Amino acid sequence: MGIETRLAWRNVWRNKRRTALSVAATVFAIFLVIISVGMATGVHEKMIEDAVRLASGHVAISGAGYRQNMTLEQFVPWDGRLEEVIETAQNVRAWAPRISSFALISYDDQSQGGMVIGVDPAREKNVSEFSQKVNEGRFVSVDPGPTVREIVLGRKLADRLGVGLGDEILLYGVAYSLETAYELFTVVGTMALPDHRLERNLAIVHIQVASEFYVYEDRITEVAILASEAAESDSLLADLEIALAARFGDQLELQTYEQIMPGLVQLILIDDAGLYITLIILIVVVGFGILNTILMAILERTRELGVVLALGLKPMALFRMIYLESMLLAGVGLVIGLSLSLPLLAWLHGIEVPLGGDIAKGTELFGMEPTLTFKLNMINPIGSTITILVVAAIAAFYPALKASRARPIDALRSL
Amino acid sequence: MLLRMAWRNLWRNPRRTIVVLSAISIGIAGCIVAMAINLGMVAGMVDTAIRGGLAHLQIHSAGWDENPELEVRLMDGGAEIAKALDATPEIQYWAPRLRAEGLAASPRASVGVSITGVDPIREAGVSIAADSISEGQWLGERGRVVLGHKLARRLNAKVGSKIVLSVQDLAGELTGQAFRITGLIRSGSRDLDDGVVFMRLPEAQALVRMGESITEIAIVTSDRALVDQIQARLHAALGSGPEVRTWEQLEPLLVFMIDSMDSMAWVLYAAVFIAMAFGIANVLLMAVFERTREIGMMRAVGMSRARVVSLVVIESAFVTMFGLLLGVGLALAAIWLIGDGIDISSFAGSIDEYGIETVLRPSMRSRDLATPIVIGAITAVISSLWPALRAGRAKPADALRHV
Amino acid sequence: MIRIALSFAGRIGRTLLISLLFQGVAIAADLSEFNLEQAPPNVDARQLARTAEDNMRSDRTFFKGEMTVVSPRLTRPRVVAFHSWEDSQEKKSLIRIDAPSKDKGTGFLKLHPNLWMYIPRVERTVRVPPSMMLQSWMGSDFSNDDLVRESSEVDDYDHRLLGIDTGQGSAVDRRSFVVEYRPHEGAPVVWGSIVAWLDIESGAPLRQDFFDEEGERLRVMRFGDFRQIEDRFVPHHWEMTPLDKPGHKTTIEIEKIEFDLELQSSIFTTRNLKRRD
Repeated sequence: MGIETRLAWRNVWRNKRRTALSVAATVFAIFLVIISVGMATGVHEKMIEDAVRLASGHVAISGAGYRQNMTLEQFVPWDGRLEEVIETAQNVRAWAPRISSFALISYDDQSQGGMVIGVDPAREKNVSEFSQKVNEGRFVSVDPGPTVREIVLGRKLADRLGVGLGDEILLYGVAYSLETAYELFTVVGTMALPDHRLERNLAIVHIQVASEFYVYEDRITEVAILASEAAESDSLLADLEIALAARFGDQLELQTYEQIMPGLVQLILIDDAGLYITLIILIVVVGFGILNTILMAILERTRELGVVLALGLKPMALFRMIYLESMLLAGVGLVIGLSLSLPLLAWLHGIEVPLGGDIAKGTELFGMEPTLTFKLNMINPIGSTITILVVAAIAAFYPALKASRARPIDALRSL
Repeated sequence: MLLRMAWRNLWRNPRRTIVVLSAISIGIAGCIVAMAINLGMVAGMVDTAIRGGLAHLQIHSAGWDENPELEVRLMDGGAEIAKALDATPEIQYWAPRLRAEGLAASPRASVGVSITGVDPIREAGVSIAADSISEGQWLGERGRVVLGHKLARRLNAKVGSKIVLSVQDLAGELTGQAFRITGLIRSGSRDLDDGVVFMRLPEAQALVRMGESITEIAIVTSDRALVDQIQARLHAALGSGPEVRTWEQLEPLLVFMIDSMDSMAWVLYAAVFIAMAFGIANVLLMAVFERTREIGMMRAVGMSRARVVSLVVIESAFVTMFGLLLGVGLALAAIWLIGDGIDISSFAGSIDEYGIETVLRPSMRSRDLATPIVIGAITAVISSLWPALRAGRAKPADALRHV
Repeated sequence: MIRIALSFAGRIGRTLLISLLFQGVAIAADLSEFNLEQAPPNVDARQLARTAEDNMRSDRTFFKGEMTVVSPRLTRPRVVAFHSWEDSQEKKSLIRIDAPSKDKGTGFLKLHPNLWMYIPRVERTVRVPPSMMLQSWMGSDFSNDDLVRESSEVDDYDHRLLGIDTGQGSAVDRRSFVVEYRPHEGAPVVWGSIVAWLDIESGAPLRQDFFDEEGERLRVMRFGDFRQIEDRFVPHHWEMTPLDKPGHKTTIEIEKIEFDLELQSSIFTTRNLKRRD
């Protein structure tokens, strides 16, 4: 440490009480920023997670044009090549193949058009939450039985048809080969879903059964992929696209949840924007606090500064010293703030705090579970640190300048 | 006398006073502006929803909640209800509608749509559809429809094109008719741009063979705060039959967003004011320290401890008051400067696709002004207490000895 | 005449174009590739349309035939054999599938406005909601709506005689009137216009071209294998080709067709539907 730095450091501690207060303000600000960003990140991740787990995951691979038309014609070839690529990709937490198409679902006098999704139950439970939403009966078995074709319906769909567990319903549709497809299915369970429209239309069967029903052979309609975290979705998509373009050319289409569910993204964006504006204002206020503190310190030390300058210290050196003092002041606050908040956030990371009352009801409207989650990542502390340092650097400028401009004569006169 | 002293003391060390002033004013201004912008964003979302067709209130026939299908409708076309509506002064505009799900077909494509029969003039008062025509014009002549530009693209159609709309009428029969597109909507609302087909109400009624019936009445008022009042009035006037719902009841999600904004406000206030408190206390403590000799003099001359404390407190009170005034002034100036809104489209990239407006327009409620002021005042007073007490504790002899 | 109409259309500005479209004036279809003769002046196009429609119309009809669908994604064309009874006055019809064996015995009963379906293998009767009728029927290029909608070729359109095709050209192989059908404003027809070749001798349709309002040809329907049945000249081979979907074609081959039958009303009941013949 150079002499200037040591001096600056000692100066900082000369007025313990003032320094303590200033540091306290900084610590408080850092703490708040880190914890609230951690909370916002956690909550948003969970929102996304909950939503994509009832849809197509973070990244979905389908045939080109599938999302427009939703027909069997735009298929994904399922001959092992795609599986290979997915298995070797980074950041894939889980994936599941699906066959989904339209069918007429009928029982007695009631028929209803519905969306049938054939899933691989073993893989599916790692990717989606459908199996956890069963409210009566059970989900589709991992092994499709030789005789009984199992089907799970959205509860509203079951109600509409007047169907209960054990009843046999008829599915009627058009297969890929353009043949008619019809079979009897036994209802083994119903699901309660937060999305009511989905609940009115959804029916889930085993993927093998769907494949036979639609005569799809070695084809599927989509692969739903869960990334290691939502933020990785874009890079995962990019990686997969490159890997797949070589083997499949234009045949496949990849989309992230952002493209499939733009409404969700909108909500998060607005939330984030609000939070960041708040935090910026907070940091500005703190920066101001630092400015004030240093300024007051300068004013207080007018005589000392005057003497020092009279003794020959160059203004530039004085500027540097005062500047350093400010930065150190901010630095101390930063270090303490980080060391208090980061361990707390790390401890909270992954814990789900249950929410109650109105907030709980509100989250359920989003289709989310009423819990509060936190997340620790690198960007949070790094970003906050940089921001505070930048603000401190700017705030320290004026006092340091003033100090270096002090005229020894004025200073000595105040004696 | 104390007041005059306090006042003069303030200006003896103008720099210090200004520092404290600025701390308070920036803190307050920050809170007010931050809340205004946040609220503006949510208000923007709510506004888009309301003007996009949600309206402030909607009236449906009894039982609509359970079964939002065609069978549940207002038989007389809302004639009885109309009387009650016209008699309610708080209502600015109201419009009858008929909604039916159907299929729109062009030679190349067919798409499921939500057919909405409206009264073109009344509807223009209630939603922005009529004002968002990007090509062509709003409904006027018979046999015409207006739909979203994205929907038109999916159908491979444009202004002047013919499309056939098919619906299942009340009897379960499939009926259809050809219409010409007379206008395209570009509004930012997903519903309007890609889901709804507007036509004149009598034609929709004829298509669905519903006679005079409609499915809903949309109501708009000039002041959103009056919504509950209107609901109460209509409940009283209409009795148990038709169901009157406010936009909050129709879209609880929006309410949730507003509420979470409010919770965030408290976090913001806490943060800012605590930070501010530290800063103010710091400065005042230092001031007291500096004025030890002066205070000692005052005490030596006979001023009671209590009066010294009061003096310091009053000084802080003055500064606080000015700080608050200044802060509010700054905030209002900033908001006025932002005026029509900050255009973040260059930063925001493709947010437009998500239906968010890329202009941040600040919005304020009286509580967003009052609360920070009150809290600010309390904070300033509290943070001046400790320094004031310190000042009171100074012993005259020690003080005089201090140079 | 058509060539002149065509070049005129090319010079029209956009607004004018739109206003023309509003008047229900679709751009003239481009038929310049078919050399047409001038038609005699006293021929009533509307009457021609009526004759064409009557040719296939009867109050009670029996029909037995086969529908073949060709599509690029099929390794083999899909063939569905069926027979049906129709009572066009009471708007009832019963269709029974004869082949392939998986679908044999399946029946469709239309009692306006409802459609019922019976599947023998699982012994289930399904009521098909009308909204389903707008999907493609059994995978063909027809939609149920095509087969089920009761729009009139005479009443819903204006008719104009364009000329006479000698039968030597590429369009058809018999001498025929070429009539343009323009749907009335508001009629539930997506097409801008339909051009039909009507056999001069019998009035039967030989070919129908479907155009959108910009004059682009989107579908062609060809009729062939004409046989005389009493006083009707009936095509036993129908072929529908969508021009915007390459590789697709749907063909109907009629094995037997009987007109003006006496039918028992008991045919059109759900009880009859559940029998397998």
